[in-house]
Amino acid sequence: MAHSHKHDTPVETGPSSKLISLVAQFDDPHSLVAACDRAREAGYKKMDAYSPFPVHGIDDAIGIRRTRLPFFVLAVGLGACAFALLLQYYVNATDESPIFPGYKFFISGKPLFSLPANIPVTFEIIVLSSAFATFFGMWYLNGLPRFANPLHRLPMFRRVTNDKFFLVLEAEDEKFSESRSRQQLEEWGAKAIEECHEDLTDQKIPNGFRLAGIVFLFALLLPPALIYRVSGMTYRQPRLHVVPDMDWQDRYNTQTRGPNIGTPESPRYLFADGRAMQRPVSGTIARGDLTESDEYFRGYKTGTLPVSEGAGPSAQDQDGQDQDGMATGTTPEPEWVDGFPEEVVVNTDFLKRGKQRFEIYCVACHGYDGNGEGLVNQRAVALAAAGEAAWTAAKSLHDPAVKAQPIGRIFDTISNGRATMGPYKDQIPVKDRWAITAYVRALQATGIRTPQELAEANSATPEAGQ
Amino acid sequence: MAATVDFSLDNTHEDPSRRADLVLGGMTYGDITDNVAEIWEAGRPPKIWYVVFGTAVVLLSILGVCLLHLFFMGVGVWGNNNPVYWGFPIVNFVFWVGIGHAGTLISAILFLFRQNWRTSINRAAEAMTIFAVVCAGLFPGVHIGRLWVFYWLFPVPTEHLAMWPNFRSPLLWDVFAVGTYATVSLLFWYMGMVPDIATFRDRSKTKIQKFIYGLLSLGWTGSARNWHRYEMAYTILAALATPLVLSVHTIVSFDFAVSQLPGWHTTIFPPYFVAGAIFSGFAMVVTLLVPCRSLFKLERLITIRHLENMNKIIMATGLMVGTAYGIEFFIAWYGGVEYEKFAFINRAFGNYGISYWIMVTCNVFIPQLFWIRWFRTNLLAMVVISIFVNIGMWFERFVILMSLTRDFLPSSWGNFYPSLVDILMLIGSFGLFFTLFCLFCRYLPIIAISEVKNVSPQTLHHHGHDEHEHHVEHGTAH
Repeated sequence: MAHSHKHDTPVETGPSSKLISLVAQFDDPHSLVAACDRAREAGYKKMDAYSPFPVHGIDDAIGIRRTRLPFFVLAVGLGACAFALLLQYYVNATDESPIFPGYKFFISGKPLFSLPANIPVTFEIIVLSSAFATFFGMWYLNGLPRFANPLHRLPMFRRVTNDKFFLVLEAEDEKFSESRSRQQLEEWGAKAIEECHEDLTDQKIPNGFRLAGIVFLFALLLPPALIYRVSGMTYRQPRLHVVPDMDWQDRYNTQTRGPNIGTPESPRYLFADGRAMQRPVSGTIARGDLTESDEYFRGYKTGTLPVSEGAGPSAQDQDGQDQDGMATGTTPEPEWVDGFPEEVVVNTDFLKRGKQRFEIYCVACHGYDGNGEGLVNQRAVALAAAGEAAWTAAKSLHDPAVKAQPIGRIFDTISNGRATMGPYKDQIPVKDRWAITAYVRALQATGIRTPQELAEANSATPEAGQ
Repeated sequence: MAATVDFSLDNTHEDPSRRADLVLGGMTYGDITDNVAEIWEAGRPPKIWYVVFGTAVVLLSILGVCLLHLFFMGVGVWGNNNPVYWGFPIVNFVFWVGIGHAGTLISAILFLFRQNWRTSINRAAEAMTIFAVVCAGLFPGVHIGRLWVFYWLFPVPTEHLAMWPNFRSPLLWDVFAVGTYATVSLLFWYMGMVPDIATFRDRSKTKIQKFIYGLLSLGWTGSARNWHRYEMAYTILAALATPLVLSVHTIVSFDFAVSQLPGWHTTIFPPYFVAGAIFSGFAMVVTLLVPCRSLFKLERLITIRHLENMNKIIMATGLMVGTAYGIEFFIAWYGGVEYEKFAFINRAFGNYGISYWIMVTCNVFIPQLFWIRWFRTNLLAMVVISIFVNIGMWFERFVILMSLTRDFLPSSWGNFYPSLVDILMLIGSFGLFFTLFCLFCRYLPIIAISEVKNVSPQTLHHHGHDEHEHHVEHGTAH
């Protein structure tokens, strides 16, 4: 074993270096404690014992006072408690501060600050801070880390972490004299004694380290210098985007130009018309867009669409609404169906669905009873009367002219709009439009009278109106 | 019987007149150091070490690939979905955190109770704790989805955004509890190891070894003044870690108990979780230490008595867990809440009933074998039982979580199916754990050398003859 050189002389220490201590080796904790007792009785103050494990009784033997560490930890723990509570109060119960403001978390109407909910985090912060205080406080009070210690130069001393026990008398002690102390140590049962000399090799830093240290110190200055340089500057470049987060995507938006596959000077677009969006290839149809049955999708009997240019339902199908929105009354019309197409079954559920849809889409103008007295209409009529808006009053669905319309015509009105009424075929699925149609028919069947009819009836029998 | 037993070789006797030795075979201080340092000084570790380490690294690579896949694809690669938004990640998290309880319990609570037998096992158990907490932290850590803003977990001030965590949320308490636990365990572990690292430093042969162990040992000399403050610090840390170790799983249980779901919203959760954590933690210590002990020839330091004590704790905590299972059912019946009743009947006989019975078998029935002395002292038997316990404890968390599949509204019921990534990540986390543990075994002192010396018969014998009255009374070896 490399550890058994009890009688080796100290290495790497010249005769000129100062003696700083005498190191005496013992074989068991019992003789170490006994020797420490003797040393204290002999009046030594500057001494220390070294052992592979804490030897009980050694504290009193060499006069170690109780450490202040617990009080330090207590102070840190109490501070952490206050800090944790304040932190939680500030963060979750205030928002007044102009910088680094807190945020008032309202959760289920509970108070912003309630101690029970804050105990877990407070407890954890106390424990964490106290543990750090204990750990770092202990090393600080012990004067560690200390990487250059002359004791480590003694080969004998390597066994202090294995199986040997040491008593070290320091030369600075008043009672210390090299020969007498050595003699005393032998008397007290030391198995081996070595001199520990001041280690001059530890005094100077190796050259490489010095240079590296200087470079490192200068490097440390770089971040603050850079921050100082750029503070308050205006940038034309976009800021560094570390995580893209799908902020940029390789696709073309609707209604934009398509990708340029030529050069900027002579652009050549991927598609001949230059658009990013393309119509379906002719002769194809998008999934779900097959609307073959004229009865069901457009409300007229198949093949009855009059051939005319630029007007009629088919033109509207493609271009939305007529330019002025007023032309439909004069254009030739197809032959509207006067019953429900075979795709729909009119029953109570269907009418309920129609009522519900009607109340979502139609009542704003036409009113719940279909008399054209919806809130939007009332307001718009009032504004029009004051000259502040132009408005064509919503039609009463109980108007005899409307009542006389075939079912397909009403469906078409809902789908494509008439006059100022807009088309709803994009908002309402076809089946629901039929359901609304059915409900309109049901409303018309109730015999509700239009406002005009009501007014006429009132003027005919004034008593009844009173 | 006592007459025929050599006490220095067998310490499993129960003789009240004689304190059982914790170090056998009359080992001297030097023998203890040599025994532990040999593992590290040997030119090559045993062949089995390479096998275990190689397997662990392969599993760790699988975990790495899964994590990369997860980072690029998002948490959709897991089986988590409505209604089980927390699937394997939280099951694995609670499982690993639970395992991580034994180390600090052994080093802190048993220290305060002066259980000297802790000294042979505390280092490895603490290391196991830290590695288990690393595995545990991984799962919620990668569950946050957008990993690059992980710092939103902490109260980091932003200049004007007022982006703060909600301090009344149990999930935030978890961040603090697990973070504090990991940090304090690490400090405790490292501080306890410094004197032993100094031993390695003083036995180092190459320059690299000298540099690394010299740096890590902080210039430790074993001075009596240093030992005095060190022991004080150790006691304080133990006193801090004791409530901490109880608080961690309490707060983890709040994740469940604070939410208002039948089967979760109960006050029994904190103690039940803590008991389960100690149960699974000790089982993992037994699983790891029995092979280590044979492989590294530590039979005289980690004696049968040490293992038997741990098995007794496993049995005791297993009974607590079993009682908790029973109480849950009792309260569900006694409380008269139909949702609660349904939740528990469903646990045992519903869609995941099989996992409930795996849990009960592994956690309640199998540990009862430890009533029989042969099972407590037979190495193979205890390893097998401890592995069953860990399987059972994983299923316990799974069973609890599967309450999510059957909540109040039948319309929102659903089932949970783990994805391949879920399963590979669970297996991969064992790779992470065993990789770290293998490296620890090879490069760090796996037994607290200085603490074992302090309770070895050699020291206690000297104390017995000591004239000094200020000597501290040593605890018994139980």
